[in-house]
Amino acid sequence: MGSATTTELAPSGVEGTIPVTVDGQALEVKPGTTVLEAARMLKISIPTLCHHPAVEAYGACRMCMTEIEVRGKKRMVTACNFPIREPTAIFTESEATKKQRRGVLSMMLARWPKVPVIQSLAGRYGVQNPGYQHPLRNEAPDACILCGLCVKACSEMVWEDVIAFAGRGAKRHVTMPFGKQSERCTGCGTCAYICPTGAIKVTDEKNNPVDPARIRKYGFRLTKEMATLDDSQCKMRRVGTAHLVEIMDAYDLLPTHNYKFGKHARIAEIASPVWTSLVRQNVPDGCWVGCQMSCAKAVDDFVPRTGPYQGKKVLVDGPEYETVASCGSNIGVFDPHDIIELNFYCDTYGIDTISFGTACAFAMECYEAGVLDKRKTGGLDLKFGNGPAALELLHHMSRGEGFGVIVGQGIRQMKRIFAERFGGDPRFLQDIGMEAKGLEYSEYVTKESLAQQAGYAMAQKGPQHDEAWLIFMDMVNKQLPTFEKKAEALYYFPMWRTWFGLMGLCKLPWNDVEPEDNATRPEPNKVPGHVEGYENFVSGMMGGEYTIQDILKMSERVYNFQRVFSIRMGHGRREDDRGPYRAMGPVTAEEYESRAERYDGQLKELLKVDPAGRSTAEKMALLRRYREEQYEGVLDAVYKRRGWTRNGTPTPETLKGLGIDYPWVVEVVKARMAEEGSA
Amino acid sequence: MNDEPLPWRAGLTVADVLREREFVFPLLVVSIDGVHVPRDAFAATAVPDGAVVVVMHLMSGG
Ligand code: SF4
Ligand code: SF4
Ligand code: FES
Repeated sequence: MGSATTTELAPSGVEGTIPVTVDGQALEVKPGTTVLEAARMLKISIPTLCHHPAVEAYGACRMCMTEIEVRGKKRMVTACNFPIREPTAIFTESEATKKQRRGVLSMMLARWPKVPVIQSLAGRYGVQNPGYQHPLRNEAPDACILCGLCVKACSEMVWEDVIAFAGRGAKRHVTMPFGKQSERCTGCGTCAYICPTGAIKVTDEKNNPVDPARIRKYGFRLTKEMATLDDSQCKMRRVGTAHLVEIMDAYDLLPTHNYKFGKHARIAEIASPVWTSLVRQNVPDGCWVGCQMSCAKAVDDFVPRTGPYQGKKVLVDGPEYETVASCGSNIGVFDPHDIIELNFYCDTYGIDTISFGTACAFAMECYEAGVLDKRKTGGLDLKFGNGPAALELLHHMSRGEGFGVIVGQGIRQMKRIFAERFGGDPRFLQDIGMEAKGLEYSEYVTKESLAQQAGYAMAQKGPQHDEAWLIFMDMVNKQLPTFEKKAEALYYFPMWRTWFGLMGLCKLPWNDVEPEDNATRPEPNKVPGHVEGYENFVSGMMGGEYTIQDILKMSERVYNFQRVFSIRMGHGRREDDRGPYRAMGPVTAEEYESRAERYDGQLKELLKVDPAGRSTAEKMALLRRYREEQYEGVLDAVYKRRGWTRNGTPTPETLKGLGIDYPWVVEVVKARMAEEGSA
Repeated sequence: MNDEPLPWRAGLTVADVLREREFVFPLLVVSIDGVHVPRDAFAATAVPDGAVVVVMHLMSGG
């Protein structure tokens, strides 16, 4: 028995903590820590059956009964949910403690004699199978011991409440509504994972995996991470990707005013607390059955101020980070109501919020720069920050009216039209028109990350960040100092992320929650614990053993096919892999001067040029030449790493190495190589 | 820090460095002279003079 009593415990040493002893060993805990948690902090084991860290403790099984002493008085408590509020001595192995546990185990063993977890605990406490015959004796090794973990998990982790206890006393059992298979059950298997006896079986009849147990093992790790770590990591369940708004602003990466700048003084008006208060939370979003991340959010009872739904209550799906940035900061709009309304009408009209926001931002800059005026916009006052004008433009686009017809064609066409019809300077329009390959940029400022400039402009479908998001690795962590390192990242990440598309999987569970030990693993940026999970997932689904190398190869084949397809369509050239200069550096004096310290510093350090006494225009030109040269260096390195020519054509050898050197494929690349003179 | 000079003062902690640099991203991996600093120890971990501090930002988002 432990020797310390509460009377011997000194007053708390650390402010706000409570002194505790567990079997004589002292520690300080925060108020509210449970007896079980305190014991586990000292690696002292207390047996549990109905407790799991991912669900709220509710003290049903009594297995964890433990003797404690508070203010000189001893008593028995359930360790899993008894909160420590004052100095406490805990006796996990006292006679009283052991006696209680033996009693509980003796009853359980009589009722469920063959269940391994009960047998093992009985062994630990020296409990023999009692002689009497329990009236409810169940000899199955996977009998349900009524711990209730499955009910709690379905409710708290999956947010579904599909299963519940039914019946009383001897008839008590776990079931779905009306004792039938519920349609609401997503088959996620969380209840089966958490069940300590294996009483629940989930079968996947649709996909017929080769080794379902292997898939579940790794799937459950993710479920547990979401339930226990998300609140301290990315808050995907509570806010979704909108948590990134203020973070991107802090790093000067949030596009404002058509990507001129990366932060804005009014950030608080569109930061994540605003969205947390507006979106409905803690309900499954139906995006992916059984997904505990449930990051898609909805705003209930929203009343639009304009358009066909004006004055009516509607449900809005979103907004996510990209929408807050595209339909908010990038067009200078900081009114959450306007952002939600733009989000709603984009969805309703079938328009992508990123393309709309980026196209609108371009039109607004052209308006402020004098390329456009009210006569050309059909009366729209397209100044940055004019939310109602942006909404009006969106309605015009949907109806195919006036200026909306021009904007609806996207930035690539707008650049041509503004130059041809409105006398805009083609070079300026090219510099500020944030598109590549005809697609509008998504919402990150890339001026200070060369790797991300290439990650965007080289992406096969156009500048979407879903091939590679390297800004932190490159710009903040300085992990990619050479062209070769950037090229390696621009090999690994696009191949890795292409694989999610191949499998039809969402990419967010890969890195929007991370395993607890991720920080201590080599290359934590790749989230190695999750990469292992995907290796096991694909192996368990298809049979055989697949490694990350096999996974990358699968993508590389498809990726090269995509490139060959672009070539066949007359694209896929080096010039198609270049973006506008706004993605690479300051186009206007206003931009340069707003970050003059940074740019002047770079002139000194990187170009060995003294900025003193030089005009802004002169300094901008020097910086531009340097940055454009750097970009060409990255293109060369990436093409080399991917086994492509200097014009970005996959070579016949590369195709052969990937096993896709079919004659009709080789023919396409040979024709392009002949054209570029590299055959 | 991250290959850039970081002004040092007595009592400087990892949490101070992150706050001053506005490193507000939640998924950070910090090491001092190659030794990993757990997230819950940022406030209590002092940065020694001349130390090599690496603050690695992971990735998140769509
Ligand atoms: S499989 Fe998932 S949804 Fe269905 S009962 Fe179990 S936990 Fe609930
Ligand atoms: S089915 Fe499993 S998890 Fe659910 S109450 Fe029974 S033993 Fe516990
Ligand atoms: S584990 Fe504490 S009562 Fe079940």
